[in-house]
Amino acid sequence: MNKLKLNYTSLSFLPILVCIPLGYQLINNIHLGGFKLFQEFLISAFNPKIDNEIIITVINRLNETILIGFFSWLVSISFGAIFGIISSNIFCKIFNIPNFFSRVIRFFLTIIRSIHEVVWGILLMQIYGINFSIGIIAICIPYIAVNSKVFAEQLETIDYKSFESINQINAPKFSSLLTLIWNPIINTFKNFGIYRLECSIRSTVILGLFGIGGIGTSIFLSFQALNFRELWTYLWSLAILIILSGIIFKKIKFNTTNKILSIFFIAVFFITILFSFSYFLYFIFNNNFENFNSVSSLLKSSSDLGLFDFLKLILETIILSLLSTGIAISLPPLVIGIFNNNSSKIFIKIFAFLLRLIPTPLILLTLLTFNNPSLSLAALTLGLHNAGITSKLLFTNLDNQDKRNYIAMKSLGISKKTSWLLGLFSQQAKSYLAYCTYRSDIIIRETAIVGVIGSVGLGWQLQESLSSFAWQEVTIVLIAYSSIAIVGELINGKIKNSLT
Amino acid sequence: MNNALLELKNISYKYKNNLILNKVNLKINSGEKIALLGKSGSGKTTLISVLNGTIKPTEGEVKLFNKSYEELDRKQKRKITTIWQDLRLIEDLSAEQNVNCGLLAENNFYFAFKNLLNISSFKKAHEYMQLCRLHNSIYDKKIRKLSGGQKQRVAIARSLIQGSNILLADEPFNNLDPKLITTIKNLLLDNVDKNNSKKSPKTALVALHRLDLLNNFDKVIGIREGKIFFNIKRNNLKKFHLDKIY
Repeated sequence: MNKLKLNYTSLSFLPILVCIPLGYQLINNIHLGGFKLFQEFLISAFNPKIDNEIIITVINRLNETILIGFFSWLVSISFGAIFGIISSNIFCKIFNIPNFFSRVIRFFLTIIRSIHEVVWGILLMQIYGINFSIGIIAICIPYIAVNSKVFAEQLETIDYKSFESINQINAPKFSSLLTLIWNPIINTFKNFGIYRLECSIRSTVILGLFGIGGIGTSIFLSFQALNFRELWTYLWSLAILIILSGIIFKKIKFNTTNKILSIFFIAVFFITILFSFSYFLYFIFNNNFENFNSVSSLLKSSSDLGLFDFLKLILETIILSLLSTGIAISLPPLVIGIFNNNSSKIFIKIFAFLLRLIPTPLILLTLLTFNNPSLSLAALTLGLHNAGITSKLLFTNLDNQDKRNYIAMKSLGISKKTSWLLGLFSQQAKSYLAYCTYRSDIIIRETAIVGVIGSVGLGWQLQESLSSFAWQEVTIVLIAYSSIAIVGELINGKIKNSLT
Repeated sequence: MNNALLELKNISYKYKNNLILNKVNLKINSGEKIALLGKSGSGKTTLISVLNGTIKPTEGEVKLFNKSYEELDRKQKRKITTIWQDLRLIEDLSAEQNVNCGLLAENNFYFAFKNLLNISSFKKAHEYMQLCRLHNSIYDKKIRKLSGGQKQRVAIARSLIQGSNILLADEPFNNLDPKLITTIKNLLLDNVDKNNSKKSPKTALVALHRLDLLNNFDKVIGIREGKIFFNIKRNNLKKFHLDKIY
């Protein structure tokens, strides 16, 4: 008997097997009570509410969303650059600091990054109450850490020999640092900055669902009132914002040789740093710690969480991540491969866009109209949302790929599906899987959001503990979350290295 | 009294269990122009890296101006300039920005900042680039867009603009045509600038392969497998010396 040999193409499809247990549980959990609601939800998509009142509300809410998203982006990208620089090896080399220093900062940032902005948001809301700045701070905390990782990684690409050369000139250390990092920092900002702005706006919407303000809050309130027509007005306006911003950002080209523009950007950078730092201090010293009496309360409070229950929650979170990742990896190539014609392609692209557009908590709430809360449902939600993202990448890569192999195979009489699989997808499979490992890191973090809504895993426990101000439990859950995310990141890092 | 500007005492350097330099002793006095000969992989680049302080030897003592490298202040360190075999230019910067990098040591942070924003004066950089026969059409071109010969001359201009007294050069005539070799050789070794505003370094150690370029040197050092085989006046160089190292 021949041995089964796995290659990157088959590995991209294999995770779809998670759909077997998942589908079994979902079918068992179906209840027909909410089908009508679900139907109403779908029909409303084609009949959104449009009147003067709602248009004014949409404009106001979008303004709030854009403001929170923009400021969190500005602050997180600026501080991300600073932390990226000081956690880079080149910084340590120039200032003769032991590498241990950069490792400590990186580890600290990894912990911060491992906790989702929604968790930070809920946590901060419990401590400070609902506040406009909470949204910005909640997004900024993990985003600074994420951005710093990207900047630091980019700085690692600096040729060590260039460093030696500048070092040998014996220039002042800050001059050497600036000369070496200038272009990598600018390039990272050019290639990555705009994408992060889009992420900030999406995160603002999700935080809005938890009451922070902006269009997310309106979406959530409309859903709660089962006012689906109004809900779709908000969703479509959000879609227009995302599409428009995408078009505008594609047009903008940062010309770094333009002196005035460069000076303007540098001025904005320094003003952001100074302003946000002063505001942070003001915020800390001028806020009442409404529900967070003192650190000692953390030590005094007892935890009712049993070890067995706690381990069960951890296991649930891990399974949730694995199932969602499986869907996010395999569903896009499977669907694109099966429905491989132009009209289906357009339909899949629209569907994928909607999956990206609708925040995960809302997808979950919609699915809950006809399915009982379960781990499978949460996994399906998270998997579908992320499949929307991975399919966008896959479409872009496939569209840009040289199609000669595909055409040659088709001309040999090979079926369209097989030609697509072997002539197109097989060449993308490796890089696609590498991207999916990165996506998997995000999925682990996002289990917190679906956990809160879908009553599964540590996310649910976090919500419970926060509601009862059980700070010790909150700490334990956060440590557990962080540990899962860090271990996941380490494993994914190894897989990614073997793929690139 | 020891008059040596640079001195290596019993220098050995090991890299991954390979002995790259083996008990090297060397003195370079002020005003000497020394050619360093040896096969590829004989240890020439490592010797230059030890001399400019980039590599710390596994054993032995390096003295520059009678001090160890750690004891030197920045002003003293600036007296040495290096032209690297692999050039070590910053690929993302333009040719003129790279040449201006040679001035970073004598200027403050604001100069580095202006250089990156292209708002500093490039007058001095352009003068040195002209001396290296670089055409003004390439001044603002990114390094990665230049030819090998152009990159070589940008590296040389960056080194000369530092105005250092001691030049350490690792195969500086690579990628250059014969006419340019003569120009660059004169520039590096002969104080040929008649305006006298730009002086060549007084002392030089130049690693090279081409024997026809030895005329401008006072001494010749031959290195093989990390060991100095001869250190003699150029006039005394005989064929058997070369046979020993090639």
